[in-house]
Amino acid sequence: MTLSPLPTNLSRAGGCTLTGALSVTPQVRNTVTIIHGPRGCSHHNFSLLHATAFDNDQVAVPALISTGLGETEIIYGGEDALARAISSAADRDFCAIFVLSTCIVDTIGDDVVEVCNREYGMPVIPIPSSGFLGGTFQNGVNNALIAIAAMAEPCTKNAGVNIIGEMNLEYEVEENYREISRLLASLGLPINCRFVHDLPFEGIGSLGAAQLNILRHPALCPVGTYLEQRFGTPFVCSFPLGFEKTLSFMESVAGACGIDGNLAVERERSLQEKIIDDFGDLSGSTATFDPSPVDPESIRVAEEAADVLHINIGQQGTGNLVPANPATGTAGIRRMLHRWRRSLHA
Amino acid sequence: MPECESPLWPCAMTGAAACLAGFDGITVVIHGSSGCYYYPATLLHVPLHGTFIVENEVIFGSEARLLEVVGEVAGTGNRIAVITTCVPAILGEDIRSMLEGYDVLLVDSPGFSGNIEAGYAKALSLLAPTVDPSADGVNIDGVCMFDPFYRGNIQELRRLLGMASIPVGTTFCCDRLEKTRSASPYTIGTNNDFQSGIGEYLGDTLGIEAIRSSFQKIGDRFGQSDIAPVEKELMQQEEEIVRVCDKYLRRFDPPGVVIFAGASYAEFAGQTLARYLDADIRYIGSRNEPGVSQYRTGFVAGLGEARTLLEKYEPDLVIGSSFEQSVLKKRAFTGITPPLRGNIRLAPVPLAGINGTLSFIEHALNACMDSKQQEAIR
Repeated sequence: MTLSPLPTNLSRAGGCTLTGALSVTPQVRNTVTIIHGPRGCSHHNFSLLHATAFDNDQVAVPALISTGLGETEIIYGGEDALARAISSAADRDFCAIFVLSTCIVDTIGDDVVEVCNREYGMPVIPIPSSGFLGGTFQNGVNNALIAIAAMAEPCTKNAGVNIIGEMNLEYEVEENYREISRLLASLGLPINCRFVHDLPFEGIGSLGAAQLNILRHPALCPVGTYLEQRFGTPFVCSFPLGFEKTLSFMESVAGACGIDGNLAVERERSLQEKIIDDFGDLSGSTATFDPSPVDPESIRVAEEAADVLHINIGQQGTGNLVPANPATGTAGIRRMLHRWRRSLHA
Repeated sequence: MPECESPLWPCAMTGAAACLAGFDGITVVIHGSSGCYYYPATLLHVPLHGTFIVENEVIFGSEARLLEVVGEVAGTGNRIAVITTCVPAILGEDIRSMLEGYDVLLVDSPGFSGNIEAGYAKALSLLAPTVDPSADGVNIDGVCMFDPFYRGNIQELRRLLGMASIPVGTTFCCDRLEKTRSASPYTIGTNNDFQSGIGEYLGDTLGIEAIRSSFQKIGDRFGQSDIAPVEKELMQQEEEIVRVCDKYLRRFDPPGVVIFAGASYAEFAGQTLARYLDADIRYIGSRNEPGVSQYRTGFVAGLGEARTLLEKYEPDLVIGSSFEQSVLKKRAFTGITPPLRGNIRLAPVPLAGINGTLSFIEHALNACMDSKQQEAIR
């Protein structure tokens, strides 16, 4: 279908800010998220979270409350419905209430912030997420992270590192975290806080204690900048993809934390050389990258792997299709190479 | 509409898409944002198109964008159906006038206007199928691409009609578009929640009794039919159901059951389990407005209500979706309601027809016995 360019730098296929925000807020334990809009919006997103949870072997899905707007509220306004839903949630045993708006609510002009600012006896945090009217999926993620970060106060620093903005809806979210944890552990650095992934409400308060923030993806840079301004915490702008970038990531983290990472980097380089050796049987093969949409960074990493393994990358139709979507770090490349072997030996 | 914790059922826009996408010869365009598009696109696993509107089009009008997308998909010979989502539905644009240069079916079915059944019914009514009095065969009704059993139901109904030497008329809604113009005068159903209202309804095919009744009516209407093979298989397979259920009851008490499903499937599940297992149907939580039922029944919109009912009625066996499965505490579970996550489903399994009843009983008994074994291990 056509995705014609727009005068502004917006993507038509950028997804929904509501979904982006919802990939974050239910990850704060002991809180509830209210979606101010029709039930359908909540169902669509609840269903997505449910599917993702099953994929990640987590059966339970956090509660989402829909204000259930119907035609009457669309015509006469939905602020009363929102106030009722917040009051009802405030009677329950939660630590905080997040309120997300939808595109239809933005269109009819409900003053969500004013309703949230009323007294409910519990923190009520409105998060800008007006569906497609608030931007893209990534804007929803960033808005939610910044709104939650605003609840934390500056505190004494420790030796830990924060992981910021994990993509909670991605299939390999836990594997990517494990790989980052491994790389940090090899540098002798503990994790301070996964912001936000299965985070206890009380854990928000420790956000400012880390000496370094590691962002999941460069699109989170506004969040990194906000955290730097609020807590004085510098940031590394992305999880690493590819052999070389993994080593330079370790050097950057070590440099930012003022530690000597040379030994850890050399150990990682040795591990990478062993992996290259293990996949030596692929040398001389001809492959074509899977034509499904991939970003330039993934192509770069796949080309790097093909280059070190002496795999010829041909035009479409000249070799077996191999996926060009590596996961984080050295382990992510190894898993991708197993898939390449399956394809090239098929 | 009151507030609702974790809503369990899709909106009217999704229902309209599920109806129209079933017809070969229709190109469906979702007029809305990418967020609204992704849900039906990933749920139905069929090609859908979207206008993917952004803020600019809300402020300055969506005509140019809509014409761009419709213009791109026009010219294939397919009829174009445009389904409006929430925001375009209230912008006040005259979409019909915008698209007057095209033969477009405009379905105003925003999410806030109701649930999936409402959108499905509205889209089908706008399609305005017609009966051809001279058309042979029997239509198959109640097919919705949202239903995980729809493919299996079609195959099973085709098999049974074939056994009775009855041609298949039009399948609502999974057929060639032109067949909606020449539907047969008679119809049998697979799921009454998605009834088309086309032709004389001869009954549904959920459960042995319903199949027997519907095929007797077919036999009455069609002199050339031979329903004896269907009746013979009904008798043989019902004996088999009785045999395995009796064997189960020799060792175990009947299960107490709570069911969460659309009204039609829920009633089938309740009646089947009560008839063959003497099950205690403690509650039916209907995803849509419940009809007349011999069981305690109510409309259950959210997972919070479902969780409360499970705590109240403490069933041994839960029939529902993977939503309910996610809040079960070591109870037996059988899935008949979408979504059914956590399982790979490739084969077209029916719930309607003889094989549908066999499959349902089989899954329910296996779930109960697995649960008993797990209890014993614990």
